[in-house]
Amino acid sequence: MNAVDLQNLSYAYGGVRAVEDVTLPVRAGEVVAVLGPNGAGKSTTLLMLLGLLPPRTGTVRLFGREPSAAAAAGLVGAMPQAGGLLPRSTVGDLLRFLHDVYPHPMPIAEALDLADLTGLAGRTVERLSGGQAQRLRFAMAVIGRPDLLVLDEPTAALDVEARRDFWTAMRAYAGQGRTVLFSTHYLEEADDNADRIVVLDRGRVIADGTAADVKRRVAVRTVSVTSLDADYAALPGVVTVAERAGRTVLTSTDADATVLALASAGLLRDLEVVGAGLEEAYLALTRLEA
Amino acid sequence: MLPYIRLELRRLIRTPGLLIFTVLMPLLSYVLFTNINTVTGQDKSVAAVYTMVSMAGYGAIGGLLNYASGLVIDRSVGWLRQLRLTPLPPVKVVLGKGLAAMAAGLPPVLALCLAAVFINGVRLDAWRWLAIVPLLWVGALPFALLGLGLGYLATSQTAQPLNLLVYLGLSILGGLWLPLSIMPSWVAAIGRLLPTHAYADMSWRVAFGGAPSLGDVVTLLVWLVAFTGLAIFGYRRSVRRIAVL
Repeated sequence: MNAVDLQNLSYAYGGVRAVEDVTLPVRAGEVVAVLGPNGAGKSTTLLMLLGLLPPRTGTVRLFGREPSAAAAAGLVGAMPQAGGLLPRSTVGDLLRFLHDVYPHPMPIAEALDLADLTGLAGRTVERLSGGQAQRLRFAMAVIGRPDLLVLDEPTAALDVEARRDFWTAMRAYAGQGRTVLFSTHYLEEADDNADRIVVLDRGRVIADGTAADVKRRVAVRTVSVTSLDADYAALPGVVTVAERAGRTVLTSTDADATVLALASAGLLRDLEVVGAGLEEAYLALTRLEA
Repeated sequence: MLPYIRLELRRLIRTPGLLIFTVLMPLLSYVLFTNINTVTGQDKSVAAVYTMVSMAGYGAIGGLLNYASGLVIDRSVGWLRQLRLTPLPPVKVVLGKGLAAMAAGLPPVLALCLAAVFINGVRLDAWRWLAIVPLLWVGALPFALLGLGLGYLATSQTAQPLNLLVYLGLSILGGLWLPLSIMPSWVAAIGRLLPTHAYADMSWRVAFGGAPSLGDVVTLLVWLVAFTGLAIFGYRRSVRRIAVL
């Protein structure tokens, strides 16, 4: 039985389609990154997955049950991007409460330690720094030892060092055989921390595979040369062609092949090859799909 | 549900402003009203008992209403949404919040009764005290449900003014500030139908030698049902909107 089964999920805010026909099975024990730029539908998909937003069409099953039934059984832990902390409560109060409502929790001290919050148990949530608050959200999500852990852009508010510590803690938890689903818009985070990457763009799944697969597909380069009269789009590896100030700018999924083809066709003029940003990579991927 | 009540009670302790508002203010009003100029126009011993009940009730209602309607904050920070992902059933969250709010009603009741005895020398039979304290405390339950209803229906902007309007409106019209007997008869007629009046009148009757009237009990129960309905309506509405907090 899959830990997560999303079947043909769709959602629209007003007339704007946020999620379109997303089907996503996740096996128990997998660590899956949902990768996509802002507005790709990541948060909407996760909200529907958790049962907090009823899908317009499609079904969600967590461990074969409705999301609310899975939550009631203590199988789900989730970390929101922001909020979710009860005002005027302390770190210790919140963890104690969650410890008491989940059926098989870890000791409070273990959760504090895992999230690097030891010594902060008596602090009220108002007095936590952004990074500490985020670590508390993580501790609250894992203290019940849920079989499925869902993290919505968990490192958005963290600095570089805090990010590294966070992923170390997440991998420690995932290493106990738990299923983890997290969203991010950093390819590198997905690559470093997930077994599998699902790329969402404009509400659709445009790539789904191992980190290496997807990374290869989104490892797009920009190749530019002084424009000549030629059919650049027909060159191997080329995904998009644009004209900028007398130069032809190509995005390519196989820069080596593109450059070799340019050379053999005699089109090499002031060659420039640079690694494309993730936005270009998404763009390239969506063009490939179209 | 016990873990939730404990969590809320520990928050309540960290809300000292509420104690000032619900204990200190009624207490000061009580001492002033009964020692400077008795509001009932009757002698001081009557005023000392009468106003003890009104001010204890005023404080207790304030505590319950205020604490329960603080739910609007829990909603707006996404706490209730977070709770929906835990094994704690939503109905227990609501009940737990309401029961914790009840705790906010006890300090004013105890403070005013103690002030009556030790400052104004009020003496009542032991059984009357044993009836009045629970009547003032537990009898305020409908206001916890009213607070929950407001907490679900209001937004974080409208909650405070709405709360104050309902609180002062019900308290003044229900005769907690000035006795209904000195108000215009049409105001008094409305006042007698309000939950605040039925609630305080039960204790007034016990304090002055009688027993709670059936009319008061029925009135309060009708309001209890109405406020429970309001809380359930608000809860359902909020669950439908919970994802777009």
